[in-house]
Amino acid sequence: MASATIEQPSWLAERRARAAGLTERLDLPTYKGRPGWEFTDISALDLGAYAPASAGAAGAVAGADALFVGLEQPIVVTQVDAATVEVTGELPEGVVVSSLEQAAATHPQLVEQHLGTIVAGEDAFVARNEAGFAGGLFVHVGRGVALERPVLVTVVQDSDKTALNWRSLIVVEEGAQAEVWEQYLSAGADRDGLFNTVVELVVGDNANLRFVNGQNLSEKSWIFGSQRAEVGRDGALDWVSLGFGSARGKVRTETKLAGQGADGRVTGAYASHKRQHIDYDTTQEHAAPHTTSDLAFRGVLQGRSEAVWRGNIIVDPGAQQTDAFQESRNLLLSKRAHADAIPGLEIQANDVRCTHAAAIAQIDADQLFYLRSRGLKEDVAKRLVIEGFLAELVERFEEGPVRQVLGGALERRLALILDA
Amino acid sequence: MATPEVIAEQEALKGINADYTERFGFRDAENYLYKAPKGINREIVEKISEFKSEPAWMREFRLKSLEHFFAHGMPRWSPPASPMLDEVDFDNIHYFVRASERAERSWDDVPEDVKKTFDRLGIPEAERRFLAGVGAQYESEVVYHQVREDLEKQGVIFVDMDSGLREHEELVKRYFATVIPANDNKLAALNSAVWSGGSFVYVPPGVHVEMPLQAYFRINTENMGQFERTLIIADEGSYVHYVEGCTAPTYSSDSLHSAVVELIALRGARIRYTTVQNWSQNVFNLVTKRAIAHEDATVEWVDCNLGSKLTMKYPSVYLMGERAHGEILSIAFAGAGQHQDAGGKIVHVAPNTTSNIFAKSISKDGGRGSYRGLLEVAKGAHGAKSKVVCDALLLDEQSRSDTYPTIRIGEDDVDVGHEATVSKIGEEQVFYLQSHGIDEEEASKLIVNGFIEPITKELPMEYAVEMNRLIELQMEGSIG
Repeated sequence: MASATIEQPSWLAERRARAAGLTERLDLPTYKGRPGWEFTDISALDLGAYAPASAGAAGAVAGADALFVGLEQPIVVTQVDAATVEVTGELPEGVVVSSLEQAAATHPQLVEQHLGTIVAGEDAFVARNEAGFAGGLFVHVGRGVALERPVLVTVVQDSDKTALNWRSLIVVEEGAQAEVWEQYLSAGADRDGLFNTVVELVVGDNANLRFVNGQNLSEKSWIFGSQRAEVGRDGALDWVSLGFGSARGKVRTETKLAGQGADGRVTGAYASHKRQHIDYDTTQEHAAPHTTSDLAFRGVLQGRSEAVWRGNIIVDPGAQQTDAFQESRNLLLSKRAHADAIPGLEIQANDVRCTHAAAIAQIDADQLFYLRSRGLKEDVAKRLVIEGFLAELVERFEEGPVRQVLGGALERRLALILDA
Repeated sequence: MATPEVIAEQEALKGINADYTERFGFRDAENYLYKAPKGINREIVEKISEFKSEPAWMREFRLKSLEHFFAHGMPRWSPPASPMLDEVDFDNIHYFVRASERAERSWDDVPEDVKKTFDRLGIPEAERRFLAGVGAQYESEVVYHQVREDLEKQGVIFVDMDSGLREHEELVKRYFATVIPANDNKLAALNSAVWSGGSFVYVPPGVHVEMPLQAYFRINTENMGQFERTLIIADEGSYVHYVEGCTAPTYSSDSLHSAVVELIALRGARIRYTTVQNWSQNVFNLVTKRAIAHEDATVEWVDCNLGSKLTMKYPSVYLMGERAHGEILSIAFAGAGQHQDAGGKIVHVAPNTTSNIFAKSISKDGGRGSYRGLLEVAKGAHGAKSKVVCDALLLDEQSRSDTYPTIRIGEDDVDVGHEATVSKIGEEQVFYLQSHGIDEEEASKLIVNGFIEPITKELPMEYAVEMNRLIELQMEGSIG
């Protein structure tokens, strides 16, 4: 259904107008002197070159390289460019899965209560998203409801030279459980697009959410993202982020452990080649006592690609018994690849355990030598080492479909950057 | 959860530095031959140069630097620097104070009130017992300087920077501001314009200076900025260890200390530079320290920060020659009202270079300890190896610890790693020590000393003793 057919509630119209006003006022960040942007120069971005996305044709999905293949019986949500959303699959009682624009009309209280509460603040890209998002995703899992089937959301950018503002709001109420997979794709490798995503995740008390997000946009695309979660008391969030495509941009991935006993796990991977520039900015904020977080990112860089990973652990005053871990490892496959790692700790409680680690290295010569001494050819041996490096990430997940689907996505990407 | 033991332990750790004024805050009557009015302008810079009867090139360098100072904004850090930085008022500072007419060679010639100040710090004894040569900076100029005869025989130059410029102009002209150019940042530009005092050291090829060269620095006039300038050149295959220690009396309004220290280790040379910083808690300590290590050379910074209100200091090593090695050991202790924003930077420019950074910070009574660092491997620096490890200890709920390392790698044949851990004093450790009859206060002291021991053991013996004493004083107090 196209957005034109949905009546927009007045509160949303007002918010969009306010955000549109903000976009006039907020300059795009410059990498000089703007904390957080130093290593990602976006001065070449000409916003005027990208027209707002319009409704696309569902057929474009077939042309896109999917990231997530083999999920069991997913509830499927698909959007091509703006506002073509299809939801297939029967929904259990207490579950809403729909386009966000539609939900604003059908479940106005729920949407108004949460929209914009998780990702707030004055940011040029967030304001553009709020003013211009079309379609979008709304998932609501009611109190105590366990949504057994995964939701698979596919967003495809088809029309050339367009800007797609993608917005997700996922609310998992107290004691509820859900798994949502969201992939951003381009309909073809030649598409030049601007993809601007805002994702808000609300994990209630004792609730449980797995959110797997990945982008495989064309390598001509810009990507900007502000993705943030808040986890309630004893809630658990298991977040995965894959960054394979795009030419340049920056994605923020932020977790706030807001309730006592909350747990946040974030697993990220990127694999870049040619002249790609990938930038991830992660935050683990511990705002309550007895909270735990565990973040691991791994990157493989080929060609002249560059990756920036900035991660911050913040422990608020009073968040005693925090246990936080953060790790970033990069494997440089080429002399001309470049990686920046900026891990950070800001700790304002004393009874805590916070650790971070970052490493940047090439393929270990000893491992290679060992494999070659077993009769493996150099390229085969190298590949095994790289696969092993990424396999350690996948092993953070239990045996089963999640491992398989993630492993498959990584394997296909690796094949592409190693063989190209 | 807080058990009675933990509460008692935390009580025991309160009050660090509360009696700083009594312990270190003594001050002597001001008796200066020349003190510039507050604020900075061309005239003051010209006056400084005139007083020092400097060559024209240095006068021009100062004036050019002043232009850079006016042109630059405050350096920007990311994440942002402490808001305390906004309190620095460049117009409310004396840029030059001269305590006596010329540098003294013998202890007997040092003015009586200056001696009295040193007495309070126990320096004369230290001097008699340990020191090779003392470059003691009282106010802006070195008033006492002694180079041991055997150093002179070896051809080692160890003088205050002003004398260095007079007596070894060609050497100074060749190396001065080559590591830290005047326009490097606003504070380096300020130092370049108004510098006074500091040390000039030259070690000839192959000479090993066995005893550490030591210099004490003090600030003694309210609102007086101290802008010492140190330049150390270790010629091929030589070795020198330079030690800088600071304590300062407490005053009511803020004071600025902004040094520039340049180290040049030529092929195969090794320089170790040790600092024990214990400025009084009204001092802004904003320092630029940088070293260049040529082929097979080693530069080590051992940097201990205990005092000051705000310290922002990141000693750096540029590894310019193949197989050069850089090492940074850093300790920071942040008590009430203090922010220690310290760390280190290593830049690998040449192939097969290696480096280590080990940093330890302790925060207490609402103090904030920040590690800020850079590890960069430039393109072409293949075979570079580096390890960065930062540990922080938080002693109470009000205190804060930050770790901001930046790692930039532009070369695939490298092996770099960074680790950081933040934790509190382990209850089990305290319990274990208590079960051996050691009281809580003593146990906490032992644990803190154990925490920093890997770095203090790198200090010269007398400094290790002083450092442990300082830490113990910081940890002492209000149990029960």
